[in-house]
Amino acid sequence: MIYSDIALSAVFVAVVLDLFLLKSRMMTRGIFWLTYFLILPFQLLTNWWLTSNKIVMYSDTEIIGQRLAGAPIEDLLFGFSMILLTISAWEFFKERSSIDTH
Amino acid sequence: MENLHYAYVLIFIGLCAIGVNFGFKLQFSKKIKLFLLTDSLILVIYLIWDFWAVSKGSWFFDSKQILGIMLLGKLPIEEVLFFIIVPLMTVLTYLALTKLTGWGNKESRDLL
Repeated sequence: MIYSDIALSAVFVAVVLDLFLLKSRMMTRGIFWLTYFLILPFQLLTNWWLTSNKIVMYSDTEIIGQRLAGAPIEDLLFGFSMILLTISAWEFFKERSSIDTH
Repeated sequence: MENLHYAYVLIFIGLCAIGVNFGFKLQFSKKIKLFLLTDSLILVIYLIWDFWAVSKGSWFFDSKQILGIMLLGKLPIEEVLFFIIVPLMTVLTYLALTKLTGWGNKESRDLL
C-alpha cells in the first residue's frame, strides 16, 4: 500500500463515517462544500511552501507522480478526508453534547 | 531561523485562526471541550497514518527546517501540531461560514 492507496482509503473511510457511522451527512450539505473550497487554496499554499522548500519530501515509489502546487496529487485526497472528518465529527459531538445537557 | 520553516506554516494558520475567531465573534473558548473531542479522533487516525508512513519512508522531513523535537523519535512535533491547528482552522472556517450564510440550521440540508 503506497500513499495513493492510503489516501484513497482515507477518503472512503471519511465518507463512510460521515454518511453511515457519525451520520452527520455533511457531504450532503452546501455549507460543507463551501468550507472545503475556501480551505482548498490555503492547502495548496501551504503544500507549495512545504514542498518547494523541500521541508517535506516524498518517496517516488510511494506516489503516482502527478503534482499540484508542488505536492503529490494524493495530498488533495488526504486534505479532503481530514476536512470532511473534522466537520463531521464536530457535528456528531455537538449533537451528542446538546442531548446530554437536556 | 531555518529550523522554523515548517513552524511558519503553523504560525500562519494560527494567526488566521485568531483573526477569524475574533473577527466573526465565534467565542471559540466556550467550545474547547467539543473541539478536543473532535480533534482526538483526528489525532488518533492521522498520527497513526503519519507515523506508519514516516516509518516506511513514504515521506520525510529536512532535519534543518524543523525544530528537531521528535515524537517517538520519528515524527516532528510540527506534524502533531499540524493535526491540531488545521482541524482548529477547519472548524473556525466552518463556524464563520455558517454564521455568514445562515446555512447551518437543520432545515438547510440543501443538496439532498
